[in-house]
Amino acid sequence: MKGENFKNTRLGLFVIVGTSLLIAAFYFIGSKQSLFSDTVTISARFHNVNGLMKGNNVRFAGIDVGTVESVDIISDSSVNVVMIIEKKAQPYIKTNAIASIGTDGLMGNKLVNINSGTNAAPSIEEDAILQTLRPIEMDEMIRTLNVTNENIMVISSNLRTITDKINNKNSLWNILMDTMVAENVKTSIVNLKIMSNAGVLVTGDLRNILGDIKNGKGSLGALITDTTLSSKIRQTVVKFEKLSDTAAVITGDLNHVIKGLKQGKGTVGVLLNDTMLIHNLNKSVETLKVGAGNFNENMEALKYSWPFKKYYKRKKK
Amino acid sequence: MKQGVLMRFLNETGDITRFAGRFFKEAFKPRYEIGEFLRQCFFIGYKSLPLVAITAFIMGLVITIQSRPTLVEFGAEAWLPKMVSVSLVREIAPVITALICAGKIGSGIGAELGSMKVTEQIDAMEVSGTNPFKYLVATRIMTATLTIPILVVLADAVSLYGGYLGANIRGVVSWDLYWNQVFDTLAFSDVIPSILKTFFFGFAIGTIGCYKGYNSNKGTEGVGRSANSAVVISSLLVFILDLLAVQIIDLLNLT
Repeated sequence: MKGENFKNTRLGLFVIVGTSLLIAAFYFIGSKQSLFSDTVTISARFHNVNGLMKGNNVRFAGIDVGTVESVDIISDSSVNVVMIIEKKAQPYIKTNAIASIGTDGLMGNKLVNINSGTNAAPSIEEDAILQTLRPIEMDEMIRTLNVTNENIMVISSNLRTITDKINNKNSLWNILMDTMVAENVKTSIVNLKIMSNAGVLVTGDLRNILGDIKNGKGSLGALITDTTLSSKIRQTVVKFEKLSDTAAVITGDLNHVIKGLKQGKGTVGVLLNDTMLIHNLNKSVETLKVGAGNFNENMEALKYSWPFKKYYKRKKK
Repeated sequence: MKQGVLMRFLNETGDITRFAGRFFKEAFKPRYEIGEFLRQCFFIGYKSLPLVAITAFIMGLVITIQSRPTLVEFGAEAWLPKMVSVSLVREIAPVITALICAGKIGSGIGAELGSMKVTEQIDAMEVSGTNPFKYLVATRIMTATLTIPILVVLADAVSLYGGYLGANIRGVVSWDLYWNQVFDTLAFSDVIPSILKTFFFGFAIGTIGCYKGYNSNKGTEGVGRSANSAVVISSLLVFILDLLAVQIIDLLNLT
């Protein structure tokens, strides 16, 4: 009898576990379809529901809050979609919330998306009718994508040209890729550094020199700092000024004289401007030349003439 | 000879139907054999549980691993729990459980009743005033009808757990996410028809086993034959009923 009881216990366990699993499964499925929680019924009128069916999910702000209860045609251009929404989502759905038909993923089930309205509006009531948005149609999207694709094609071909240009041997890229250039740049920078160091030294020296000058050391310093010298210089400058004034007067006179000369005034002017005179002068010179040549000949003859021969011989020695 | 085969087949079909009718007539009349019913429940239901659980676990695991490559091909790896849960709950767990039970229970009942018949214990019962049909047949058919659905529910659970492990061999699906996805996918239209049809599976297995055992003859050789044909016919019936069930579900638009 004890064994019989034990068997019955195990049998009871078996049956209870089995049925409770079934009940649990029903509960879980039911809770997914919001059958056992408090619900509100709302509806929305769509122009096109894109294959929405009874049982599809309703999402508010991306969270499943209910299911589609029915989809009915109410006129030639509108479809009434009745939705069952969990009561706990009701306060957050405002009367100006917008319902739209969406897709779960790219190829997934259709669903109703409810976007949250503005805070100011009151929450929906039972049997509220939501505003709707035209659903995004896949083929329309693909059409737009087609245009985008074409644009991308043009852009990518342009990009290709640009990159080709960049990759070209005689391009900036080459310069960028050339290690020698980099080396040179590095060397230049090092040189610059050395130079600037030298510059620092030089400036230091300069500062010293300037300091010395300020203090009246050295000739330049003396020159700058000595006040008597400066007055002397000023006097000299004044004298120079006077001198240059006189020079200006002289130049003016000279100008005048030259003008006169040009016009053939005075003896010198006649001399300069008279072409006949020049011709005559030329002629005289010519004659002189001939005369001189003759004289030379006479002198040569004289060398060999008797009274002077001795003299020349002695001179030779 | 062909005529003979057909006649025999029709004869047997008629006999089985009459046998089932007799069950309905006698099982619901008072003087219920509660003790025997519970004893059979223990042997048929509880004792089959380990076998059913192991089979279901392996089926869940294997189906998940086998489905993965195809889903990966579509980049729909995340759909693995959904797909596996639907195929397991709707079809695989009920049918596998029913087949296992057809093997275990059908042959058990067939052999038990067959040997009782051959050793004339059934006749002795009738003489002693006990209704053997009520005591032996009705309780067993009732038991099979009621325990197989429970076994199927347990098998669903165990096979889904196997699916969870299978999904986690290659991929990573958290415990919560897995069950969320499973119950997200499953609808009453998946669970209720699949549980309902298992009552018919159970009834068919019990009826065929009892019929074959109850009508066994030709001595000890007949016991083996009745056990064998009980398994064969009930397995076949499970598939035929499954076919019928899927057509009815389809007609009722519950798919």
